[in-house]
Amino acid sequence: MEMFEIFLPIAGLQFNVLLLLLIGFTVGVCGGFFGIGGAWIVTPALNIFGFPMPYAIGTDLAHMGGKSIVSTMRHGKFGNVDMKLGVSMIVGTTVGMELGARLVIYLEAIGLAESVIRKIYVIFLALIGSYVLYDYLSHVHRTRKAAGNRRETPPAGPTMAMKLQRIKIPPMIHFPAAGITCSVWLPILVGLVTGVVASVLGVGGGFIRMPALIYLIGCNTLVAVGTDLFEVMITGAYGAFTYGIKGRVDLLAAMWMLLGAAVGAQMGTIAVKYVRGYSIRLLFAVTIFIACASVLMKQLEMQTTSSILILSAGILISGVIIGLLFRGVGRELKARKTLE
Amino acid sequence: MVLKAAGKRARCPAMRRTWSRLAAGAALIQLLAGKAWAAGGPPATKLVNVADTRAMSPGLSKWIADLYNTNLWLFGLATVVIMAAMGYVLGSGFDRLMSLVGINLGRLDHHE
Repeated sequence: MEMFEIFLPIAGLQFNVLLLLLIGFTVGVCGGFFGIGGAWIVTPALNIFGFPMPYAIGTDLAHMGGKSIVSTMRHGKFGNVDMKLGVSMIVGTTVGMELGARLVIYLEAIGLAESVIRKIYVIFLALIGSYVLYDYLSHVHRTRKAAGNRRETPPAGPTMAMKLQRIKIPPMIHFPAAGITCSVWLPILVGLVTGVVASVLGVGGGFIRMPALIYLIGCNTLVAVGTDLFEVMITGAYGAFTYGIKGRVDLLAAMWMLLGAAVGAQMGTIAVKYVRGYSIRLLFAVTIFIACASVLMKQLEMQTTSSILILSAGILISGVIIGLLFRGVGRELKARKTLE
Repeated sequence: MVLKAAGKRARCPAMRRTWSRLAAGAALIQLLAGKAWAAGGPPATKLVNVADTRAMSPGLSKWIADLYNTNLWLFGLATVVIMAAMGYVLGSGFDRLMSLVGINLGRLDHHE
């Protein structure tokens, strides 16, 4: 294994290239499939293998920008990226992140930042995970009931997103890929709120934005995944620059990780083709619960266990996604052969 | 002065030795404190990031480390450009590779 060891001059470490490729690949698969940046996997993974925390965050953000380009390009070709919606949300997200940062400084000044933020994070993740899981289970229940009565699955009734779309504050705007017409203030406001939350919790925001795009704006799952990745791409590029000028990015490590992530992102993105939207939501809920458990462990000062849990869960989830991809590709090729 | 007065007052040799040791100790502390104060200077405001390039041979790693040591703004800019370029090239390359497998990579029907 020694032949794969390289010296990372900026982090000042000897590191195994295969490990960098594996971490990149894992997060690439999850990112492309769920539309998230995956900082919750990469940062603790790099940290347990010896990266100092600021370098782990900076290196993660740098590779995240490149990886999201791969996924956004593919999702764009699938028709899953609504650029207009993404840009509208970015306006709100930027302001929200700044407000969130100021809130963190205030919490720090009164000595509450660390404990309050972790508690909010755990509660927030648990709530989002439970809601997504509830939504999945009620969809399954409706589908089974409809199958029993031999008719189509009935709609779930007016959702929160439908109610929000009815608020007609000008200017009204149509988002073609999402197929939604609503006040431009809706995505800006959702971006603002998710930006504040992401900034306070110190995360990229994919975990919060993806469900917000589904449940508050009304996108279908695939457009939510694609549009969120478009935002992750921009925040990743900004993060790479800002951490770069502060000298906290190990560019060589980021390049190796991106090599693995590019393959993973491509596979994760293509896997969405073979999975129904609600199945993506179910896997997403499971992922959120794992992230929640890891933060809870950190709160209980079980840092190493938490990082190991995260890394192994990431590998396991990406394994499931790759399994779904291979099954889907196999079926597609078989169907084509039968037609020929 | 202090030593002399103390020496006169200290009649026994053991006492004299103690006094002289104390005086030497005080002088040493004063000397070291002065040196430490001079070396400390004003309080540090920023930590300097330096990549160790001493044992590195020319190549990509050395180029990155040199850029990091010379200009952090340029390094930040290079990080963004390299990541974006790599993302684009790898994305396009793997896209072509995947389409060679024979799977349809056109627009998707959105199904929930």
